[in-house]
Amino acid sequence: MKFTHFYIGIASLLFFGIPAGSVLEAQSLKDTLHLGEVEIKASYIVKNDGFKRVKIDSSLLLPHLNSDLSSVLAQYSTVFIKTYGNGSIATPSLRGTSANHTQVEWNGIAINSPMLGQTDLSQIPVAQFNGLEIIYGGAGISKSPGAFGGIIDIVNDPDWENKLKVSASQSFASFDTYGMTLSMDAGNQKIQSQTKANFSSSLNNFLFFNDQTGEYERQTNAKYYQYGLSEELYSRINRKNFLAARIWYSQSHHYIPPILQGEEHNDRQLDRALRSMIEWKYFTGNINLLVRSAFVDQFMDYINDTLENNHQTYSWINKIRLKYSGIKNLSIQPGIDLNYDWAISDAYDGKKIRSTSGIFAEFVYDVHRKIEMSLVLRQDLIDNKCSPFIPAFGIEYRPFDKINISFSANVSKNYRYPTLNDLYWAISGNPDLKMESDYAAEGSTVYNLSSANGNVFLEAELTGYYSLMKDLIVWLPSAENSALWKPMNVSEVLAKGIEAGLNITVKAGGANISFNNAYNYCRSTYEKSYLPDDASIGKQQIYIPENTFNSTLEVRKCGFYFDYNLSYTSRRYTGKDNSSYMPGYNLSNIILGKYFHLKRIVLSLQGQINNLFDLDYQSIVSRPMPGRNYEITVRVNFNK
Amino acid sequence: MRITHLSCVFAFVIFFFAGCQKDHIREKTSSTNNGTDTSYTSGVFVVNEGNFNWANASVTFIDPINNKVYQDIYSDKNNGHKLGDVAESMSISNNKGYIVVNNSNKVEVVSATTFSSITSIDGFNEPRFILLYNGQKAYVSNLQKNISIIDLNTNKVVNNISVSGWTEGLASYGHYIFTTCLGDYNQPSSKRNPRILVINAEKDMIVDSIKTGIDPTGIVKDKKNKIWVLCTGGYDYTETPRLMRIDAEMRTVEKVFTLPSTGYPSRLTINNNGDTLYFLFNGVYQMPVSSEAVPSKPLISADGRNLYGLGIDPATGNIFVSDAKDYVQNGKVYQYNQNNGKCIHSYDAGRIPGSFCFTNSSR
Repeated sequence: MKFTHFYIGIASLLFFGIPAGSVLEAQSLKDTLHLGEVEIKASYIVKNDGFKRVKIDSSLLLPHLNSDLSSVLAQYSTVFIKTYGNGSIATPSLRGTSANHTQVEWNGIAINSPMLGQTDLSQIPVAQFNGLEIIYGGAGISKSPGAFGGIIDIVNDPDWENKLKVSASQSFASFDTYGMTLSMDAGNQKIQSQTKANFSSSLNNFLFFNDQTGEYERQTNAKYYQYGLSEELYSRINRKNFLAARIWYSQSHHYIPPILQGEEHNDRQLDRALRSMIEWKYFTGNINLLVRSAFVDQFMDYINDTLENNHQTYSWINKIRLKYSGIKNLSIQPGIDLNYDWAISDAYDGKKIRSTSGIFAEFVYDVHRKIEMSLVLRQDLIDNKCSPFIPAFGIEYRPFDKINISFSANVSKNYRYPTLNDLYWAISGNPDLKMESDYAAEGSTVYNLSSANGNVFLEAELTGYYSLMKDLIVWLPSAENSALWKPMNVSEVLAKGIEAGLNITVKAGGANISFNNAYNYCRSTYEKSYLPDDASIGKQQIYIPENTFNSTLEVRKCGFYFDYNLSYTSRRYTGKDNSSYMPGYNLSNIILGKYFHLKRIVLSLQGQINNLFDLDYQSIVSRPMPGRNYEITVRVNFNK
Repeated sequence: MRITHLSCVFAFVIFFFAGCQKDHIREKTSSTNNGTDTSYTSGVFVVNEGNFNWANASVTFIDPINNKVYQDIYSDKNNGHKLGDVAESMSISNNKGYIVVNNSNKVEVVSATTFSSITSIDGFNEPRFILLYNGQKAYVSNLQKNISIIDLNTNKVVNNISVSGWTEGLASYGHYIFTTCLGDYNQPSSKRNPRILVINAEKDMIVDSIKTGIDPTGIVKDKKNKIWVLCTGGYDYTETPRLMRIDAEMRTVEKVFTLPSTGYPSRLTINNNGDTLYFLFNGVYQMPVSSEAVPSKPLISADGRNLYGLGIDPATGNIFVSDAKDYVQNGKVYQYNQNNGKCIHSYDAGRIPGSFCFTNSSR
């Protein structure tokens, strides 16, 4: 029947696609296409008016409570994570773009460092949020400009039915790694409070294979500890007014290990961040209003034997969003953004400030019962200079009443402003930089099916994207002084790819089984050169794999849960001429847990094996990663 | 039932994958290895720095007579082992090659003909260049703290001369070693104390110092025993770059040549006869030591290339210059005729080709 076809589809995808060679060609994807499947993970696709958004909710996050955002994304999404090692810097790459092109948001507030323009995902513990949304490509324009790849939004929401919930967890893992989380949610239908705390530490002295000596050695200078504390208050004053206040403090100390064949050192880094926000939502008749004001304080201190560098930034971020749906079939959503960043850094000559304001409007129009269109228009003003006008247009078509399939497409134009480092780094900074620009298009289809008895649910997705990025900023030796590196608008990158996902959930024999797969093909190439005899033109960007695939099988029965996650990363080039590369690899992680229900208390015991097959790999050249490692977690949950 | 099928498929896939990955996942190069039992008797070793912190330094051997290139010969001749992180320079003495690997903090000693590793010397403070002295010992400049002295018989660091700052170029005159000292590595160029230190090689002590322009990097001795020093002026344009001529016997500055203000000169080198200087300055400059002025334009222009390394073949006098491109792809080496500045040949090199070491170098 339908499912038999389905197995064949999967089987052909897995057997002929991946094992046959390291490259899963689009051709083998097509083999499975006629079955009308291919889709996204235990996460799900949000109603999209032409743009792609994927949500990952708390049920999926729960077993990973003691890990960080980078490992969740690496296992469950098509976001490629570039990691410098266990507990070290991890940055995202979405759709063949750089980390600068992915905006990380905390409840809609951008938290990328205004200096670096990116976020270290290893410093965002899963314990500090209860949902996650990935907004792809042009879909992010109404939230913030410049996110060519997309936006990763970590979300905290209240549960209005909650009275009192107290949770605690403790994990013990290899390499003297310990994690602890505590949370308390209390309140009623009018007011809710959520308090969360997390602490983790690790000696992180894992064994790795040293090619030079042919022996296993212990990683040195890699220990870390981090902690965080947050408080959220939510209030439904009445049916029309909703207030929220959130504050989150986090601190991380991590040592930076030497590279293989590098010299011993004791470099280390301290990061501190205090993020706070207030939010007011007002609902009446045809009008929804959202007002948000946030203050983000980020501090970074880098220390080694001979120097110490401090970087302090503050951001004041304000957003107003209005939604008016008083006109038939049309909703109008205007908004204003007012942001102010300032930075005091040892690397800058004095205090540097930046003010950004944006106005935008989104129009969503139901042309027809089956067709919906949306148009986003955005205009930003940065340091009192008008940036180019940003438009995006999306359309969604649902041709059938009985078959739940949708087709959507969008086109967008986007601009990214240089980071403060690009502009103001002492001597090197280039205040004449232009904005980077992006011309993107995307088409996708989503199909889902529920069996009549609700025991089988299937969701399939196929998306193709195209994005031409111009005037990309690259740091390179300046023409007049080869020892002085300066950022210049010299590069051009064309990223195109396919994202395919397939998600099946089956309830049978008292078991709940879900099988989630995501595949990403990404060809991201250099298109322009400033050099004579440049061998990089038309070649794949470094550190962006052409093929990634991840698959998770979850089985839940009689209080037991079992998760198996497989992720495949294909070859990543390490030279722009593609003359050197890191081979592709598969990583497997496995989790087995059991819930024990004792009246109001739920106790759970979980064992986890990471890198199940003890693969000796590096994600970045000369940065060793740990082999097979273990983690045991105990969680206690009290619910009133 | 269906679920069982699915699990079986899944399990099978898992173990299929598991069986496939016995490899160590490490950086690989797709360069063709054409050297099997080659010995490197006549030609030039190109030291490719590799990217900082990537540990992908390598050595390319060019045989210009037979027009042959051998890539990554260190790995090739040493069971795939990697040379290390940031290989700065190489010198040959007594049929042994000494490769200074800056960020691995070591000097790798290899057979100059087979390139098989003999030993690895450590105990440096970010080594830069090596000067082999009378076949018995060698002086190694460091980014920080001191100058290291190696006993070439035991291949160990036997002594250090403390220096408050970054030492770079080395040249010898009689039993004196002249080394450029830029000053404190962690200070901006403008705040450094630039000078030449003179070491008595019999006592291994600093016996004199000569004030120079900002950031003296290159140093060579000509046939008339004049010491030439190239001062870059600082990466932050502290002052106009300059070339200084110092009398080695008197240790006095005889003449200072100012270079055109825009640019960053590097890689001061001299031909085997000791009568013509060469350096990079947005192109390759050629200047007879008898000249009273810096030429107004380069012999070879950069033409947009990122010229990075420079060497003069002692046998032919040909100019070897490397293009590091954008540092994130393999570079190239160009061979030029020194008389007319015409390109004779170009060769592929490794990542960031930075310095040259000729098999028949004697200076």
